[in-house]
Amino acid sequence: MKIDIQEHKGVKVFALSGEIDMASSPALRSELMALVGRKAPVVFVDFKDVSYIDSSGIATFVEGLKAMMPYGGRLKLLGVPAKIMEIFNFSKLDKVFEIYGNVEDAFKG
Amino acid sequence: MRLPKDSAVVTIPSHPKYLCVVREAAARMADMGGFDASSVEDIRLAVDEACSNVIKYAYGGDSGKQITVRFRNSAAGFEALIEDSGPRTDPACLKGRDLDEVRPGGLGMHFIRRTFDVVAFDEKKRNGNRLRLLKYRDRGHEDRHTGT
Repeated sequence: MKIDIQEHKGVKVFALSGEIDMASSPALRSELMALVGRKAPVVFVDFKDVSYIDSSGIATFVEGLKAMMPYGGRLKLLGVPAKIMEIFNFSKLDKVFEIYGNVEDAFKG
Repeated sequence: MRLPKDSAVVTIPSHPKYLCVVREAAARMADMGGFDASSVEDIRLAVDEACSNVIKYAYGGDSGKQITVRFRNSAAGFEALIEDSGPRTDPACLKGRDLDEVRPGGLGMHFIRRTFDVVAFDEKKRNGNRLRLLKYRDRGHEDRHTGT
């Protein structure tokens, strides 16, 4: 997995690529929680180039979201591929996360 | 050792960086077994989750152990036997968290159970654990496979 942290119109965007699994999710958690620790108001996570995610990857985003809620932060997921969306749906997390098609939609939402 | 027909055995160190090896083998075997693309991806994830559980729970994060996975395709379906040398796992742990409860963790068992029709520990294994995962073929596929 590669993590490319970009800034788009003042919003931090995690552009992820490859496979998010038990081996790679600790690095992702570290980056995400560092940003959350600084109380980032909005964080986008671009899933467009993510080919695989396991339960440890999902847990990382749930942890990030739960840490952002107390200060009103928003974690927005973008470009989630169909197979990964199916996992969010099955886990009922599609109702918990804000999920958008692309970065423009995420800004509007 | 001679392998049974349509089977493969993969042994990995109990380090998360090797999970990609076992899940790729699982997906390739399921594909060779004639499962559709969606089922192949489900099998990839479920076998990965089962091996992750071995690392986390049976080995307590110790990366110096081994996990052996035996794959087999048959007319009945796709089978994976996952073996470790850790302490006996309580079958009661084969339960995920309530899906309505939003918290990190507890999803892996749900991913395993939604994919496999049989999820059971082999009670006869004396040392370590052997988890049997079996996904049946749908009847239509089996008929096509056997020409009946």
